[in-house]
Amino acid sequence: MAEQAGAAPPPPALPQRQGLGERPLRRWLIIFGALTVVCFAIGLGDGQLSRLVMPVLGFGEAAAGTLMERALMAVLAGVLLTLNAMVIRLMPLAVQIGVVWVELLLVFLAFFYSFDLSFPYIVERLPILIFTGAFTTIYVSLISIACACVVAMAGALARLSKSGPAFAIATFYISFFRGTPLLLQVYIIYLGLPQIGVTLDPVPSGIIALTLCYGAYMAEIFRAGIQSIPKGQTEAGLSLGLHNWLIMRKIVLPQAIKVIVPPTGNQFIAMLKDSSLVSILGVWELMFLARTQGRAEFKHFEMLITAALIYWAISMVFELIQARIERHYGKSDVR
Amino acid sequence: MTIRCKLGFAAAALGLAVSATGTAMAGEVLDRIREEGVLRVSTDPAYPPQSSQTPDGSFEGFDIDVATELAARMGVEVEFVTPAWEIITAGNWGGRWDVSVGSMTPTAQRAEVLDFPAIYYYTPAALVVHADSAAESVEDLNGTTIGTCGGCTYDNYLNHNLEIDAQDVPPFEYVVEPGEIRTYETDTNVFDDLRLGDGVRLDAGISALPTIQAAIDAGYPLRVVGEPVFYEPLSVATDKGDAELNAEVARIIEEMRDDGTLSGFSETWYGVDISSVQ
Repeated sequence: MAEQAGAAPPPPALPQRQGLGERPLRRWLIIFGALTVVCFAIGLGDGQLSRLVMPVLGFGEAAAGTLMERALMAVLAGVLLTLNAMVIRLMPLAVQIGVVWVELLLVFLAFFYSFDLSFPYIVERLPILIFTGAFTTIYVSLISIACACVVAMAGALARLSKSGPAFAIATFYISFFRGTPLLLQVYIIYLGLPQIGVTLDPVPSGIIALTLCYGAYMAEIFRAGIQSIPKGQTEAGLSLGLHNWLIMRKIVLPQAIKVIVPPTGNQFIAMLKDSSLVSILGVWELMFLARTQGRAEFKHFEMLITAALIYWAISMVFELIQARIERHYGKSDVR
Repeated sequence: MTIRCKLGFAAAALGLAVSATGTAMAGEVLDRIREEGVLRVSTDPAYPPQSSQTPDGSFEGFDIDVATELAARMGVEVEFVTPAWEIITAGNWGGRWDVSVGSMTPTAQRAEVLDFPAIYYYTPAALVVHADSAAESVEDLNGTTIGTCGGCTYDNYLNHNLEIDAQDVPPFEYVVEPGEIRTYETDTNVFDDLRLGDGVRLDAGISALPTIQAAIDAGYPLRVVGEPVFYEPLSVATDKGDAELNAEVARIIEEMRDDGTLSGFSETWYGVDISSVQ
């Protein structure tokens, strides 16, 4: 008993819990200071916010536009932002992520809202933007990515083959189409091919340009994917007496696809937006309609912002699809 | 080796044969229009009140009315396509569309790749400033930053190298000496920079008076400075090589001018008659 009472060393001092969320108060102060300085520098709250708050704080019209007003608003914004960060840190991780997403989205929407947009104008033109514009963007991109996958696979196999001409053609193709702007390729295919008698319509021209350009990028992705499979796999197949093509189809490719899918999904999302370059040919995809509809009554922002949000929504859907495909091919990783 | 050589020759011969079919024969385009019963017209729906797009995707404007009437008098349907301006002015349309009723000025450079069979109206070009600008006359804008569309007639005018390749061109003088010229994809972009404030990005812009008026009517804080600096003839354009189509277009436009149809369209869309030389 005595031993326990007397000789027991004092319990090791727990690290002092200062401030919230295990972050020392000093660090919170630094964060607060930095936020305030930033708010002051960008003049946050000079507008409507200050007109709302200043009278509450007991300042009259005289304070409007002064340096003091700006400083006060900056401090206020700094306090709010720091408190916000402190509260968020107390939440579980999943909630933290959700809350920050929603907050950023609100800031984003507030930014757009501040443009004083005409919502009836947007609503009136939403059908054509979605049913003609987004529809065209999606189908042009889907056809192009499908064709690009075929081209890329052919390019990658040729690039890896031991045949001189095949290697030369593949590297020449990849080099040219990766080394020139897509816009230029669209022009060359649409304006250049008629010079040799091949007159293509805008949509096929656009699809060919997107296919060739993205096929070149993706050929390198496919090649890297194939090369990432250890040589031993091929050798094992050979020792079983399998034919080269069968080894590629049944052993190498199924494993390579897992590596290929994420960057290919990335390419597809990039293509969704690059397909807007086809608008110069007069294809009524999303960007074309956003521009012409906006110019009809000089309401560019209404249409551009709407188009941006539609593009974003489409990308998110395809991100989800990509995640599903990845899960499907990633089954071998699940323990 | 021999087989490969033969294949190479065959491919080259095929290429030549294909390329020979690309050029337009006299009367070919007109024949096709009549045969298919459709006149394909290129329009750039970025220019109210000449051409703009309605929420349901159809078109409206002065150019649209002229093109529709042109097709009607040819006894065919009208169909609009919307290639970008630089695709239209590149020429070599390859039969993708038949005529451009797109308020195009027949400059000497463009006449090298396109035909201009009929001028259908004359638009005044004017200088525009922000409503807060102190400029009172065109001369006040000397040395300032002026915005316009790149490669268009206004750009040529500011650079003092405007050559219009047509008869009955109203004489004009270069009355402004810009300090700096900023060019944009199209002149309606100029209004968006100008509306930010006097001198924020631009001190002035130059564009068609009707287009400026449309922007002002849409609530842009802009003001026209002085009198129009020049009147440019605007023409129907066709691809090189079909004299019969050109003659037919010229005849119909002349007819529309004589019977007052053009004046009527002009009154509708511009509020004034600009279908003849001022």
